[in-house]
Amino acid sequence: MRDILSTLIPRLGRSGTDSDRSDAETSERPASDRSVDGDVSAGDPAVRADGGVTDQRRSTPGRVIDAVDDRFGSDFVESLPFWGPPFLLMGLFVYGAIVWNLLISLTDFTNFGSPDYSDLDFEMYTRALSDSGVISATANTFILTIAFTVATLVVGLCLAILIDRGIRFENTFRTIYLLPMSLSFVVTAQFWLWMYNVNNGILNIAIGVFGAGPIDWIGNPSVVLWAVVLALLWQFSGYAMVVYLAGLRAIPTEHYEAAQVDGASTLKMYWRVIIPQLKGATISAAVVLMVFALKAFDFLYSLVSGYRPPNGADILATKMVRESYGNLNWAYGAAIAIILFALALAIIGPYLVYEYRRGHL
Amino acid sequence: MGDVILDNVTKRYADVTAVDDMNLDIHDGEFVTLVGPSGCGKSTTLETIAGLTIPSEGTITIAGVDVTTRPPKDRDIAMVFQNIALFPHMDVHDNMSFGLRLRDYASDEIDRRVASAADILQIEDLLDRMPDELSGGQRQRVAIGRAIVREPAVFLMDEPLANLDAKLRVHMRTELQRLHKELETTIIYVTHDQAEAMTMSDRIAVMNEGHLQQIAPPLVCYDQPANLFVAGFIGSPSMNFVDGTVRATEIETEGFDVEFDPSYVDELGEGDEVTVGIRPEDVYPAEDAGELANPTRPIRARTDVLEPMGDEIFVYIILRGEDASDTDADTGAAGAASAHGVDELLMSVEPDSTLTDDEDLEVVLDREKVHLFDTASGDAVSHDIVHSGSVGEQRSAWEGG
Repeated sequence: MRDILSTLIPRLGRSGTDSDRSDAETSERPASDRSVDGDVSAGDPAVRADGGVTDQRRSTPGRVIDAVDDRFGSDFVESLPFWGPPFLLMGLFVYGAIVWNLLISLTDFTNFGSPDYSDLDFEMYTRALSDSGVISATANTFILTIAFTVATLVVGLCLAILIDRGIRFENTFRTIYLLPMSLSFVVTAQFWLWMYNVNNGILNIAIGVFGAGPIDWIGNPSVVLWAVVLALLWQFSGYAMVVYLAGLRAIPTEHYEAAQVDGASTLKMYWRVIIPQLKGATISAAVVLMVFALKAFDFLYSLVSGYRPPNGADILATKMVRESYGNLNWAYGAAIAIILFALALAIIGPYLVYEYRRGHL
Repeated sequence: MGDVILDNVTKRYADVTAVDDMNLDIHDGEFVTLVGPSGCGKSTTLETIAGLTIPSEGTITIAGVDVTTRPPKDRDIAMVFQNIALFPHMDVHDNMSFGLRLRDYASDEIDRRVASAADILQIEDLLDRMPDELSGGQRQRVAIGRAIVREPAVFLMDEPLANLDAKLRVHMRTELQRLHKELETTIIYVTHDQAEAMTMSDRIAVMNEGHLQQIAPPLVCYDQPANLFVAGFIGSPSMNFVDGTVRATEIETEGFDVEFDPSYVDELGEGDEVTVGIRPEDVYPAEDAGELANPTRPIRARTDVLEPMGDEIFVYIILRGEDASDTDADTGAAGAASAHGVDELLMSVEPDSTLTDDEDLEVVLDREKVHLFDTASGDAVSHDIVHSGSVGEQRSAWEGG
């Protein structure tokens, strides 16, 4: 690392001033930097003595770099080669793409050709607001996100508490529950598609034993969304369990004992002492789960192998892709994407603020 | 009404017996400390009293009620934990009142009790703070307050001061004693720190490897330890031990001989192997031995290292053998002996002593304070080889008076 820096710095036009500068600033720069800037040791009193006049002999680029460093921190320019490339890539392909998408959503771009940036308006957004397809997709997105997140957290918490009670084969169970998490959405979708099959799916066979059903899990618009939630719950409850398990392990045994001595039953002990202490675990698991719910696109796509999810299961993500790539309504698809982005931001934003306040960011 | 009786309590785990046949009879209002090295079973004993662990055998009676298999909440006890265990999501008031709220006390009764406990512990202005806003000492007070508000028959404390810094620990020690005086409730206290045990307790129960070694008032444990373990564990720095053999008129050890009449002690006869125990403060430089009624003959020695403590100086001395007459020829031998740590004694002297490192001197032992232990069993056989009688007689003298 030092080698790269020492070859870069002369190229930045400051080689002539390095030794002077390091002496002028040794007192305020961390010791580790000295060897980078020059070859003069900090302890040399003869050189140190003329430190006060060095600035007048600086070259112009050197002064610019100093000014930038003063503004953004002492190593801003020197560390540029390390954070610069990822910063550029992220900026261009993530944030740049979001801005570009926003721009497209303000045009009337459809079909093949190029977007016309001269006439920007919010027409696509007003169209989305009056489109019953978008409104029901938004409602479905909300239902999916909230139902899936809450159900997964509850199931994960219960599993974590059961496993934390010191049962036998604890590690085996933990692995078994976590395993679905490693599957791709596509695989999960295929599994559950077979299990949901109206005629010979295992679920209908199972409830048929009790005389119920058969239920058309995928075909019935009022059931399909819950079927999707169930499949996703199966896939992600193991993840919530692991997060909760880590939280439970961080609570000292004495808290359980203190609660018992104070007179709490097992239920009250968990409800009033243990679960409130899992707030942090709940928040971090919830954020991850909600993000997964928002991008459940791949799951729905694989369920029907196409852009048109079963009736009653259309969410913003599928609607967005269908409008763009199916109907070539690029601007309209972009507008839906921005709506989805705003929703995601509304979820992530408060979390980021919370973490920032606690000093974790 | 807070007497606690442990009757043959044994706790076995899969591969180890943590507590073996423990019998304790703790009176109402007593402050009893369970003390011992880590792993000696003292915490397990406390857990069985608390109900957090069910003993494998034996019965536990609290306030006249057999509670052996009852859950903790039905035992009329409150416990203070080593890591304090305040609930981080509740403020001080809620932490203290948690047990009362679970038991559905009226809210004005809860407030009254919390206020009175806060007053005793001087934490009135902390009641609406969260635990992470408190210092270590304040948290400890809150933890004690949580126990006090319950007004239990027995307080159980599991090393409550272990996580505090040294100065605060000494301070809280005094506070706990004051609290005990004020509440007059039974306290069973677990610690590995013999100084805590000595300073606070009415009685100390010394434990080792799951067995109760001795239960007695602190000074009795100090002056009349029941066996080698108690003698070595109680007192800091610990007692000097030297292996010896009983002879017709003396006990012979490698470094010195102590005049002794074996007929004083029934259990001992000529040729028996004994361990001689002498506390550092009962070893004197020969010139200061004037006031001693029954000193040993002077023992030739050489100082090794001095540890000034302020109020006293600990001097490590190397014994050179009584027969060593040729000092010049002998210096080398003494040096070699010290290198092996053979026959080193610790002596405590007045702070105005002029002793220096590597100085030749003669020391005497106070024979009235020499302890004898049976080397094989470790049991004490005598705590005073002058006036003597066996341990049994000495102990009955203590119990009588």
